[in-house]
Amino acid sequence: MKGETKIGIGDMKVLRQEGTLITYALGSCVGITLYDPVIKLGGLLHVMLPQSNGSADASPYKFADTGIREMLRKMAAYGGVQRRYICKIAGGAQMFQMTGPIGNIGERNITTVKNELRAAHIQIRGEDTGENYARTMLMDVSTGVVKIRTMGRNEKVL
Amino acid sequence: MEIKKYDEMGETERDIIREIASIGTGYAATSLAGMLGKEVRMTIPEINILGFNETIDRMGNPEEGIAAVLAHMSGTIQGMMIFILRLDFVNEVLRQTLGRQISDLAELDQMDLSALTEVGNIIISSYANAISSLSGISIDLSVPSTAVNMLGGILSVPMAEFGYHTDKLLLIDGQLVVDNKKLHSTILMMPDLESLNVLLKELGAFYERGN
Repeated sequence: MKGETKIGIGDMKVLRQEGTLITYALGSCVGITLYDPVIKLGGLLHVMLPQSNGSADASPYKFADTGIREMLRKMAAYGGVQRRYICKIAGGAQMFQMTGPIGNIGERNITTVKNELRAAHIQIRGEDTGENYARTMLMDVSTGVVKIRTMGRNEKVL
Repeated sequence: MEIKKYDEMGETERDIIREIASIGTGYAATSLAGMLGKEVRMTIPEINILGFNETIDRMGNPEEGIAAVLAHMSGTIQGMMIFILRLDFVNEVLRQTLGRQISDLAELDQMDLSALTEVGNIIISSYANAISSLSGISIDLSVPSTAVNMLGGILSVPMAEFGYHTDKLLLIDGQLVVDNKKLHSTILMMPDLESLNVLLKELGAFYERGN
């Protein structure tokens, strides 16, 4: 599809004025969108794990804590003003009804994302998290509208 | 030689893993043949070491609906095994076990899911048992769990589990062919790094003795 910018696992991208940011099939991962409506600046981050635990070599976007900090820095560099941001989050599901050695990673991801956003004084204005199914998250940067696609359910506007 | 990252595996290491995967997949094919009453063959397993995004691209469309049965390995070998079934394979199982067909994975009911879990369990157990008896290493499997959802979401489970230790996944991928029709199913064995070294050590020694 034209005008779609895809964000992979452990990645983040920023767009201005127009286009769609999209990340596919968030399972236990969490997608975070920030939107500055005044300058039509949008960012979408796809994190996989909660804390970075100081791991230096990996991309900061792989982890909720370092990912959100880096996203805020990047958005500011593009002229975004933090107090104007509209934030929405999705994902953090538990795909299988069983927990492995690392526990319910989806839930831990959500907790860390919320703590990190609270610490940055950013309010979450829309959320579709938990449960046991994957979500595709997309944002139209011209309007800031965030949508969630799932398997076997209707598309949802966050 | 101790492997510290999956992509340090050379040809010899890959050959050893491909060999055990062939034996595991072979046993799984035999079990499935018994269950379905049909001829089941297998493809030669492929060994791929891929980044997270490449893994999904290789397996298909991230939003594609699939069924997956997952069991954790614990004990000497740790990691997970995932049996992935596409619609055509699901229908083959349902026809044989419950005498019914579906046109969309959303139609699966509790009974169907139990049948799929059971088939997945037998396939995963045969695979693991084959490796165990060959190497003398015990592999304990958890009770399997089944999910029907988007491919990308399902694959995020092993990625998150291994994510603190690696940016790449080792996919040991064997396919089952039923009645000469390449029905889409994949068995993924994903040992963690430490377990990979145990397997290479034990099985490498085994093959050296054999040759």
